[in-house]
Amino acid sequence: MEIEEKQAEVIDHFVKQVSAQKGSALGSVFVEATSHPSLFAFSEILAVPTVAELEGTDNSVHLEMLRLFAHGTWSDYKRNSGKFPQLVPDQVLKLKQLTVLTLAETKKVLSYDQLMRELDVTNVRELEDFLINDCMYAGLVRGKLDQLQRYFEVQFAAGRDLRPGQLGSMIQTLSNWLATSDNLLVTIQDKIKWADTMSELDKKHRKELEDRVMEVKKAVSVKTASRPILTSKGSMKSTLNLVE
Amino acid sequence: MEIKRMASSSSSGLTFKLHPLVIVNISDHYTRVKSQLNPPPLTSTSATVNGVENQQQAPRVYGCVIGVQRGRTVEIFNSFELLYDPSTHSLDRPFLKKKQELYKKVFPHFYILGWYSTGSDAQESDMHIHRALMDINESPLYVLLNPAINPTQKDLPVTIYESELHVIDGIPQLIFVRSSYTIETVEAERISVDHVAHLKPSDGGSAATQLAAHLTGIHSAIKMLNSRIRVLHHYLVGMQKGDIPCENSLLRQVSSLLRRLPAIESEKFQDDFLMEYNDTLLITYLAMFTNCSSTMNELVDKFNTAYDRHSRRGGRTAFI
Repeated sequence: MEIEEKQAEVIDHFVKQVSAQKGSALGSVFVEATSHPSLFAFSEILAVPTVAELEGTDNSVHLEMLRLFAHGTWSDYKRNSGKFPQLVPDQVLKLKQLTVLTLAETKKVLSYDQLMRELDVTNVRELEDFLINDCMYAGLVRGKLDQLQRYFEVQFAAGRDLRPGQLGSMIQTLSNWLATSDNLLVTIQDKIKWADTMSELDKKHRKELEDRVMEVKKAVSVKTASRPILTSKGSMKSTLNLVE
Repeated sequence: MEIKRMASSSSSGLTFKLHPLVIVNISDHYTRVKSQLNPPPLTSTSATVNGVENQQQAPRVYGCVIGVQRGRTVEIFNSFELLYDPSTHSLDRPFLKKKQELYKKVFPHFYILGWYSTGSDAQESDMHIHRALMDINESPLYVLLNPAINPTQKDLPVTIYESELHVIDGIPQLIFVRSSYTIETVEAERISVDHVAHLKPSDGGSAATQLAAHLTGIHSAIKMLNSRIRVLHHYLVGMQKGDIPCENSLLRQVSSLLRRLPAIESEKFQDDFLMEYNDTLLITYLAMFTNCSSTMNELVDKFNTAYDRHSRRGGRTAFI
């Protein structure tokens, strides 16, 4: 969550700038925001009322671009590059980073081929450099690179801005998680009870066994005491062994 | 009952760090003295200060605490015992000096930071001892351990008092003020505290076997996780309904958290897990087999010796 902390100040700064200006001046602010190296969250800026006014006006391309950065990927940009203004290299890099985040949303294990397709890089070395320098060192993702199997295993990925429908699915996931942990708690409690009952049974069994041994010992010693002492030595020895 | 004048919190701004070794030392000292006081109790070490007799045979023990003070942080590392002399109402000074020299040789950085005692509350008489120590350390600490076992209490029964000069009724007086502290552990201390904690299940539940105790630990851990997830769930539902304003940064963090699930579903994990499970089952099976076969062996031997009437005569041998 360090990314959120790092971003908080930048977000405040840009929100102030955006609310202070209007119209086409906002365009340049957007470009600045999207090229900023540590800003990855744009929904706060989108929520400012002056930004929403841009909808439908001539400057709506800028709004579209901001929305692209908030929710879209590099492939979206390539497909509809007519709709968006030209991007500077910083923005290109930023968009690619955000694309990696989106990919990490759906799968935990990303293959190199898929990544190379989505990010428009041709060789593995470039891809790995990009992942290591721009994604991991920036703190966006944490994971392991498996070069032999050509996989990138994601352990942690920062969150992107939420699409409107995502909240519902998040709540669903959370309730599933809750249900699973509740079940698990019940199962563990049953196991604990089982362990206790088994140990109780074991103790009882052992005690019964010992009681029986005591009884038999007493019975045998009574018998041998009442028998005449002229029994053969062998049978005496054998009864003693039996009791042992 | 003397009036205990104490403020509720200190204002000196010092942060205190207490090591578990000190707590264990104090409680060990107290336990030793208490168990050595076989009836009839000879109150040689119990405090009869100001005529208040401790009727429940709870002797008061005394000692010194030593440690390091760096700037505003006071760290209490160790402690040693002292004898209290009821006649002069002071601690044994020559012994204290000797101990101080000995400790200085081994730990040159440690200073005498204060003293400790047991009891439920600080008393007026303790101020005498406190004042006496003020020539070694101008602001000594008083560590008080309450030996009464209270099963409902969740915190440690240890309080640290400092002395402050307050003006009460026009007279400047030294009174005890309570200070907060944190527990600081060295690796060696952590191992021993952990070991002690595992000897008996903590919440007094009837966990007869070690397995049950282990499972109880896991159960409480998962229960805590469960409650936290529940809070998050509640928060998100509230946000969805609109009761709470949407805070994007938090939502982003939650989404990144949820992306880490499912945590253990990969195929490789299943393989390894099942392999280990099978190994454990096989070993248990093998152990059971060995047990059974040895019992059988013993039974056969006993049977042979018991019903062995025709042996050593050539011809038929017995059962096996």
